[in-house]
Amino acid sequence: MPDDLLVLNGLTKRFSDGTVAVDAVDLSIQRGTVTVIIGPSGSGKSTLLRMINLIEPPTQGHVVFDGIDLLAKEVDANALRRRIGMVFQLFNLFPHLSVLDNLTIGPTTVLKKSKEAAETAARAMLARVGLAGKADSYPAQLSGGQKQRIAIARALCMDPEMMLFDEPTSALDPEMIGEVLSVMKKLAADGMTMVVVTHEMEFARAFADTVIVMDGGKIIEAGSPDVIFGHPTNPRTKEFLHRVIDKE
Amino acid sequence: MDFSFLWNGRYVGILLGGLFLTLVLAIIAVASGTALALVPAFLRLSKNRLFRFIGTAYVEVIRGTPLLVQVLIIYSFFRMPVTVVLGVDLSSFLPGMLALFINSSAYVAEVIRGGITSVDRGQSEAAASLGMGKGLAMRKIILPQAVKNIVPALGNEFVTLIKETSIFMYLGIAELMYAATIVRTSTYAVKESYIVVAILYFCLTFPTSKLMGLLERKMKKADAR
Repeated sequence: MPDDLLVLNGLTKRFSDGTVAVDAVDLSIQRGTVTVIIGPSGSGKSTLLRMINLIEPPTQGHVVFDGIDLLAKEVDANALRRRIGMVFQLFNLFPHLSVLDNLTIGPTTVLKKSKEAAETAARAMLARVGLAGKADSYPAQLSGGQKQRIAIARALCMDPEMMLFDEPTSALDPEMIGEVLSVMKKLAADGMTMVVVTHEMEFARAFADTVIVMDGGKIIEAGSPDVIFGHPTNPRTKEFLHRVIDKE
Repeated sequence: MDFSFLWNGRYVGILLGGLFLTLVLAIIAVASGTALALVPAFLRLSKNRLFRFIGTAYVEVIRGTPLLVQVLIIYSFFRMPVTVVLGVDLSSFLPGMLALFINSSAYVAEVIRGGITSVDRGQSEAAASLGMGKGLAMRKIILPQAVKNIVPALGNEFVTLIKETSIFMYLGIAELMYAATIVRTSTYAVKESYIVVAILYFCLTFPTSKLMGLLERKMKKADAR
């Protein structure tokens, strides 16, 4: 398939204590699609996501991004990582840098952009996430929702071809979830290829092209939101959805 | 008790000279020790097992043996004719300095390593996700944050070194403890000379640790901007 941006092949993570977090997962993701991974905690969904850009080194298997095997010895993983943006549950902004410097440090040091060009792009990106006035603030001065929008902007400043979201709203107060989701929705509408691990079923229902259900380190079911939320076939999917949707 | 030697300019001069030399020795030791400490610190942080072993062995051996023994071992290997520069005999000053420098590097290495490992793992993950290599992430992201943990601890090391320079007395270097010996033997005021020297050491160490505490609070504040 020429449109496959990412292909995972037998991807496995076994921790040193022997537990298998992700068990031989195969998955392909097409350019311009939104894939949402759901499942009970401990099902391996975050580990799977973190293996895509090798933040978590896989034990076995292959990650093929744009036709390049990231785990091949001659491949420079850093060169490919800059093409994949990542948003973390706990934001991981750089506390010693201003918001503007958080956004420009990647483009200036990794992409070797000029300071002026990087700052112009960063200010435009801040406006896009609705935080144009926060350029000179420091992360500690921002609310959780603002921090996460800055983190999204920081990843976007690298002009990535794909964005990974690792439970981007799980650490937020309920009233701040909306502002982060709306930035993500805009991004999805703009055609960004996204892989999102989340507990926000509404986001999955409205914006996913594919919903993937994980349990016990394996993909137990995958399909369109209509199928997964409307007519799930796997009993464990039914049980999981029953639990989370009842909570909502 | 007879503290009358404090009114004798010659003795006061000897003591103040000793105080000054003690301060200079401690500054040189902590500055050079910090530079050398980067080597074992990064060896211990390495992924390579052999490098980690070398770094750990260095730190543990030096921290596990008395400074006096280290000074005497290095001194006995050092063969150099008496060379006096600015009133300091280099043939004993250099080996003493070398020992203090190596000794402080082992302690500072642990301070640096601790400062680096205490930076949240999410920081290096975020740097990696932007495509930064390990070295770049260390310089731009990890070290600037680690410094906030390292600098106050370096102050403590400096206070320790001020006290440990007293070991130079055995090498005949006119630091504070040696100055006390001169005063003691010429005035026979044994208790008094030691008491005065203790007060002088305290006058160096107490303001230093207070200053470091202030610096630490200021850095914490800067972080909570």
